[in-house]
Amino acid sequence: MTAESMKVLICDDSMFVRKKLAAVLKNCGVGEVIEASDGEQAVEMFKENKPDLTLMDIVMPKMTGVEALKAILSADPKAKVVMASSVGTQENLKEAINAGAFDFLQKPISDAQLEMLIKKITK
Amino acid sequence: MFTQFFGNYLLNKGLVSSAQLSRALSDQKNTRAKLGVLAINAGFMTAQQVDEVHAEQQRVDMRMGDLAVRMGYLTNEQVDMLLSQQGMAHLALGQTLIESGVMTNSEFADALNNYKAENSLTDIDFADKTGNKINEIIAHFYNFEGEPQKDLLTEYVTLLFKNIIRFIGDDFTPLSPEKIPSTRSSFSAIQKTEGAFVSTTIFDAAESAYISFASRYAGETLTDADEMADAANGEFLNLHNGLFTVNVSNERSQEIKLLPQEFQKGGTIQGPAYRIALVFPFGTVCFYIAV
Repeated sequence: MTAESMKVLICDDSMFVRKKLAAVLKNCGVGEVIEASDGEQAVEMFKENKPDLTLMDIVMPKMTGVEALKAILSADPKAKVVMASSVGTQENLKEAINAGAFDFLQKPISDAQLEMLIKKITK
Repeated sequence: MFTQFFGNYLLNKGLVSSAQLSRALSDQKNTRAKLGVLAINAGFMTAQQVDEVHAEQQRVDMRMGDLAVRMGYLTNEQVDMLLSQQGMAHLALGQTLIESGVMTNSEFADALNNYKAENSLTDIDFADKTGNKINEIIAHFYNFEGEPQKDLLTEYVTLLFKNIIRFIGDDFTPLSPEKIPSTRSSFSAIQKTEGAFVSTTIFDAAESAYISFASRYAGETLTDADEMADAANGEFLNLHNGLFTVNVSNERSQEIKLLPQEFQKGGTIQGPAYRIALVFPFGTVCFYIAV
């Protein structure tokens, strides 16, 4: 897979975070970026769009990121969901990895971290 | 981080006005402490001796250090040692205030020495990167005595200062803290926490300061207190609370849960709450913590 052919779903209730992450992904050459603003919407958009990568916040209204992660994985066990949260406690990390998260990024997320993630997936 | 508290000290003693301090904090980025201020700070020269050397410099074309050595006030070793301390931010603030005519060398020397004495500070503390002394100063400044969660509150505020310096800027002065009853809010981002730290944390500012703070965090110029400004300020609060949660989990094995941020304009801030007010050049912003 190349970055140009990649579709990434960003799920974060903060418009600011979605905008920042989308801009960095575009700079990394990612072909398509779609956005969801809560967990419920993320699950719906995942089912509709089948993204190659989903970046998922944890603290969100309606449905938390971990609940959305579980729902996405039950729809597609091979889905690559990376948790992107300011609350990178051992407990949250364990919960997310046990639930099947592909990786965990602690906010603030640097451009370099995101670039490395895209390289890891397109390798 | 001492600079911000030293600034508050100057303000409280009536030695500078809020506007003068704000301007100096903005300007200090381009200023390095010069030898006179460094020598006063180290106790090697009095303000009067510095003034004498400056006066002599009007007559003789020599650098301050060389002249101070020739006049017998400093040794060459002391000059070298002092110049290595130029990076100390509170001294750059002093230099800026002196150069802009707000304070004289002598007023600065008295203020600095009194501040050090009142807070039992040494130069080693100012250069201390472990942050032990700054934690003490914050604990003393924000007196949470009598609060069941005194230690967590102190850690919360200490990290808040670090995050503001890291993500927003260091050109602010903290105003003396207050525990307030319910009050009117202006533009607010709110996040509640549960678990080991049950609190309501609020970022609040008047419209223009709300937009300016959001602009700094976002790294772009925002013009309205709209969804983007809410999102940026809310994310700063969420990021700070998240990093606090991680620290508490790692260091105390206690878990805190964050709830999604909310936003309000012109509502009520439920007291009693601690108000942490910070004066930036663009205006005053407040953090409220109700526990």
